[in-house]
Amino acid sequence: MKRTSEESQSRLPDNSALKQQQLPAYRLQLTATGVLSGFFATGVFCLGVGIILILSAKSIKEIEIKYTKICGNCAKLREDATNFDKECTCSIPFYLSETMQGNVYMYYKLYGFYQNLYRYILSRSNSQLMGTDLKDVGTCAPFSRSHDGTPIAPCGAIANSIFNDTIILSYNLNSSIPIEVPMLRSGITWWTDKYVKFQNPRSKNLSIAFAGTTKPPSWAKPVYELDQEDPENNGFLNDDFIVWMRAAAFPTFKKLYRRLNRIQYFTEGLPAGNYSFNITYNFPVTRFRGEKSVVLSTLTWSGGSNLFLGLAYTVTGAVTWLAFFSMMAIHLMLKDRKMFFTQQ
Amino acid sequence: MFCSKKKSLEVERIVKANDREYNEKFQYADNRIHTSKYNILTFLPINLFEQFQRVANAYFLFLLILQLIPEISSLTWFTTIVPLVLVITMTAVKDATDDYFRHKSDNQVNNRLSEVLIDSKLQNEKWMNVKVGDVIKLENNQFVAADLLLLSSSEPHGLCYIETAELDGETNLKVRHALSVTSELGADFSRLAKFDGPDTKLMQNSGKTKFKRTSIDKLLNTLVLWIFGFLVCLGIILAIGNSIWENQVGDQFRTFLFWNEREKNSVFSGFLTFWSYIIILNTVVPISLYVSMEVIRLGHSYFINWDRKMYYSGKSTPAEARTTTLNEELGQIEYVFSDKTGTLTQNIMTFKKCSINGKIYGEVPEGMGQKTDIPKKNEPMDFSVNLQADRTFQFFDHRLMESVKLGDSKVYEFLRLLALCHTVMSEENSAGQLIYQVQSPDEGALVTAARNFGFIFKSRTPDTITVEELGTLVTYQLLAFLDFNNIRKRMSVIVRNPEGQIKLYSKGADTILFEKLHPSNEDLLTLTTDHLSEFAGEGLRTLAIAYRDLDDKYFKEWHKMLEDANTLKDERDERIAGLYEEIERDLMLLGATAVEDKLQEGVTETIASLSLANIKIWVLTGDKQETAINIGYACNMLTDDMNDVFIVAGNTAVEVREELRKAKENLFGQNRSSSNGHVVFEKQQLELDSVVEETITGDYALIINGHSLAHALESDVKNDLLELACMCKTVVCCRVTPLQKAQVVELVRNYRNAVTLAIGDGANDVSMIKSAHIGVGISGQEGLQAVLASDYSFAQFRYLQRLLLVHGRWSYFRMCKFLGYFFYKNFAFTLVHFWFGFFCGFSAQTVYDQWFITLFNIVYTSLPVLAMGIFDQDVSDQNSMDYPQLYKPGQLNLLFNKRQFFICMAHGIYTSLALFFIPYGAFYNVAGEDGQHIADYQSFAVTMATSLVIVVSVQIALDTSYWTVINHVFIWGSIATYFSILFTMHSNGIFGIFPNQFPFVGNVRHSLTQKCIWLVILLTTVASVVPVVIVRFLKMDLCPTLSDQIRQRQKAQKKARPLRSRRPQTRRSSSRRSGYAFAHQEGYGELITSGKNMRAKNPPLTSGLEKTLYNSTSWIENFCKKTTDTVSCFSQDKTVKL
Repeated sequence: MKRTSEESQSRLPDNSALKQQQLPAYRLQLTATGVLSGFFATGVFCLGVGIILILSAKSIKEIEIKYTKICGNCAKLREDATNFDKECTCSIPFYLSETMQGNVYMYYKLYGFYQNLYRYILSRSNSQLMGTDLKDVGTCAPFSRSHDGTPIAPCGAIANSIFNDTIILSYNLNSSIPIEVPMLRSGITWWTDKYVKFQNPRSKNLSIAFAGTTKPPSWAKPVYELDQEDPENNGFLNDDFIVWMRAAAFPTFKKLYRRLNRIQYFTEGLPAGNYSFNITYNFPVTRFRGEKSVVLSTLTWSGGSNLFLGLAYTVTGAVTWLAFFSMMAIHLMLKDRKMFFTQQ
Repeated sequence: MFCSKKKSLEVERIVKANDREYNEKFQYADNRIHTSKYNILTFLPINLFEQFQRVANAYFLFLLILQLIPEISSLTWFTTIVPLVLVITMTAVKDATDDYFRHKSDNQVNNRLSEVLIDSKLQNEKWMNVKVGDVIKLENNQFVAADLLLLSSSEPHGLCYIETAELDGETNLKVRHALSVTSELGADFSRLAKFDGPDTKLMQNSGKTKFKRTSIDKLLNTLVLWIFGFLVCLGIILAIGNSIWENQVGDQFRTFLFWNEREKNSVFSGFLTFWSYIIILNTVVPISLYVSMEVIRLGHSYFINWDRKMYYSGKSTPAEARTTTLNEELGQIEYVFSDKTGTLTQNIMTFKKCSINGKIYGEVPEGMGQKTDIPKKNEPMDFSVNLQADRTFQFFDHRLMESVKLGDSKVYEFLRLLALCHTVMSEENSAGQLIYQVQSPDEGALVTAARNFGFIFKSRTPDTITVEELGTLVTYQLLAFLDFNNIRKRMSVIVRNPEGQIKLYSKGADTILFEKLHPSNEDLLTLTTDHLSEFAGEGLRTLAIAYRDLDDKYFKEWHKMLEDANTLKDERDERIAGLYEEIERDLMLLGATAVEDKLQEGVTETIASLSLANIKIWVLTGDKQETAINIGYACNMLTDDMNDVFIVAGNTAVEVREELRKAKENLFGQNRSSSNGHVVFEKQQLELDSVVEETITGDYALIINGHSLAHALESDVKNDLLELACMCKTVVCCRVTPLQKAQVVELVRNYRNAVTLAIGDGANDVSMIKSAHIGVGISGQEGLQAVLASDYSFAQFRYLQRLLLVHGRWSYFRMCKFLGYFFYKNFAFTLVHFWFGFFCGFSAQTVYDQWFITLFNIVYTSLPVLAMGIFDQDVSDQNSMDYPQLYKPGQLNLLFNKRQFFICMAHGIYTSLALFFIPYGAFYNVAGEDGQHIADYQSFAVTMATSLVIVVSVQIALDTSYWTVINHVFIWGSIATYFSILFTMHSNGIFGIFPNQFPFVGNVRHSLTQKCIWLVILLTTVASVVPVVIVRFLKMDLCPTLSDQIRQRQKAQKKARPLRSRRPQTRRSSSRRSGYAFAHQEGYGELITSGKNMRAKNPPLTSGLEKTLYNSTSWIENFCKKTTDTVSCFSQDKTVKL
């Protein structure tokens, strides 16, 4: 044996913990104490969070007005695409019984609008929207080029189907003179969208920058004339446009339209009283049997959450507790039963 | 000179020796050995072609092609191509490494040098350049790398001895004889190359190894098919949904998303959607499954290679997993088929004990009070006084030496007999030491024993035997050699000592020899019989030893008759046998020898432990029934406690059938007294009996020999045999041919649906090793054939215990856990697309980001599950060895089966529901903390992806029962990797470079900073994990498995003390059996007396015993017939035409 010791040394496997499968390790074992206390704690936590969430969801003041039916004549007008140049407005008065405290946000909400269709969601050109390459419309089918082959800017189905109603909220302080509630357009987009994802082509004059492109077929105005009042709010940097371009996950969705500018009468929020929405009705929804509404809402610490999350937490917490008690009962009952080792 | 050989394609091959030009006309293969598959140029195309032949890879290629069709494509091409390329590259690298090693070993063989006669000159030539028809000069101890025809040798009569270790693993020398015409040609070994390279016997016999697959593999194939079916169902549901949706809703939605003319049809849209969903949902069968399994098995194989507890320092041989695809099957073995010689036993015979004239000598087992007065009984005797002694010989009883010193005549006679009556050849090596060439290790042990006690067999000529008796050289005249054969079960020599006395020395099976004794031996006979049963009870191989004094006249008469008989043409053998009977009578008993067929270390314990693990062990051996039974008793497979031992040894089909029937009746008779279940149809009977099997109590054993087996394996008795055998605790098949070994394995494999393992060491085990699910070769021997054919190899039988109970069990356990988790994970991952389909107009929109789909299986979740699959342990290796019952779940296939698969699937579906509907509910009508809308598709995708990664990570954390550093690093690392990749892909920088590829810019920053999104993720995790914990806890509490209990116990007494080893006690039984041992072939006696195998320096003396030329050739033929079990027999040369 000695003469082969060198050789045998070389063939003898290493005595390392890894190779001998002896790595120091923690053996995970579901112990009764561990599991039961874990369940108890989880139950407490979930119930707590659930109740807090339900309470805060209840504290939200929200008002939603569906205006497809109220503005039925406008809806009918829009069903025919050839009437695109006819303006149609609609006024919806409503009474706010309670003051909406704090920040108030105005949303438009669409029902049955599938922004999550595969072909719809892809039909956009991020490189065009970044302003680097206006002619890059390759991914925008079926709205990439007009009939004469001019690239559309902004191209794609999402851009083409932009929500283009104008909603103005008026406050009837004294029953006669309505005051337009001051609304902010700023801060309704994601910071990265506004400063990274969407950029206008570099040029002093937007109309020159967009030369060689054409507007989407459903648009009334080219992209550089979206906002007549604020020249900064034009092109791809238009806030409403950016909000729209962030496609919704489900066919029913609400998107932020304006937020309350808390000045004058509105420093505390929206006082109770008579209001009306003045809507310029452009966006057709009856064609796909959809509906649209306008929503005013306040927020809580967790944003504009709904009841679901709170309820779900409460239910989970309750179930966990139920499980905790039944498991404890079973465990205590079975404590003294026979096992492999006790049999011997 | 022409040679020819029958071959399937070539009818004959005519070769001109030493004429390369002529032989080249036939374009014989060259002598280069190719076992490698590729070279540098062909690697890529061949390897790719092979890889795409695999169903899984082809499937993913098909998916890739589908993705390239723009109408269908619902995922970008990289989601499939990245994993596919990764998988294919990994496999290719593995194949390339394997092939590199094959190239290396090929080169080593091909570049060995040989001396070839070229242009009438001996030249050194590499073996690979040797051509058919070359004349080659071989010297002693050279390798031969072609099939050769022996022309001539330096030995007398053109004999040469070859070792066929690389061919069949047998290390004993085999005699080959040159043609008498050519034997005069030269003084050195010279041979003619006959078949080269791929035509050689070895390469021809190596055959195509069957591609073995594990039962998990097969199950997986079924499951994958089911999953495909499930996938198609989902696809159809979604396609129908799409058609309806397009018809009802989508139609009106065209303003915003008009269709091209040809796509207007909603049915056609549904058809396209079907394919799109097939692409999206393909991740239920993840491409990384197969590659992960291979990685895990490779890891397990390395653990086997690395295991120091399976390293045999005696031969410095580590265990080796030669196949890396079968590991988990090791955890499911139900039947072990074991060879005997070299596997259970060491193939080393040691002279253990003897009984001389009624006195027992040798090591005395403990507890036998009356003999404990032996001084220093645990110290081997010192033979250094005897210069000729064999150093390796050990004997523990000093009294025998004392008897020798005292000059006990019976002891002298005993030892003299051992030194005279044998077929051993002696030789002196360069150091002047005496070396014995034995052809049966039993004899070697006996002659060596005599040598160490002072009766040294020195040399022999055809008619003398020279023995050094206590220092003085004595030459005996060998008058007759009464050879061994199977019927006689004994051998005798008749010698004349220098004093002129003629003596017959005989050794043989006690049962036979005792009948031949002189009546005066009666007292000694009873005493010796007692001793013999004691020896046999210890599993020793015994021989009875006797002698007879012959008077001159009687012998001469007898010898005359023998010579007459020898010249007879008819009935020669019968006459000779009769004459042998005639002289071998009135023997005087000397005593008995006991040789230990040394069991390998730990065999008894291993067998006991494997039986506890419900593994049935069948011994298949080429040995005789007696030897096999002996070993059965020695390793406790057969015990006296057994209710019955059935022996089937019939020679005809009828007899065998009858014997089987009787055995069965016996078996049932003892269990259920009245049974008439024999009339039912065979198949039903099998089922019926498998129920009965459970109810049969008591231990039975079946011993069946090769002849009977041949009949029993015929189709109609097959089931009876199988049934009977499976009910017996122990099955021993003796005198079986290699083919029968394979047939037995196949029988059990096919009709029992059981996982089989065959273990052996020699070439005769190759067929069985290849046909069993798992073949294990005993390595460290010089022969390689068994190891080369095996899937696993190690040096000692006892390592089988560790291989199965530890490595096999762990492999199975890990693989099952891995598969369960993998299916769960992918169902959870993929099915959310299905739920989402109902909310996105069945438009084949994915829930997740494309990058996430690409990376989920190969980056985010691959390593933790791999770490679990490689490192996980439920109980420690020591526990696995101590509680063999832990092995049973594997045999019953409990850890991963169709039921478990459905559980995993249900778990996955539940998780996907929680994953999808909790965020869905939470995202309805929700707004961010700054009032912005966060229910956008991208936020939803990120929320879901993050929840998924966290949920599956928590799940793997729960599943991992053995948390090593690696598990920690991988699990935490995967989560960290997920977040860092997420942040990178959502960063401004990467968007600036590839705006179209990474549209999720800023998403992390906005959504993952929202409290409510984290609350959603948390709730999803809790809701997914809580039910799992409940189920596991209740399962563990209500019906804990053995491993649960061991773990609990371990935890409870963690630092108290290690569990006591519950090794079963080894018992020795004692019963009267004839354990006579003769392992050698007949024919050697003739070889000795003919002087054929003796050097010319001992020229054969002309005597009456010399054979004629006719006789010598007949001897060669005889010899060939008798060496049927050797692979490369001389018989092929019989077809040589002159």
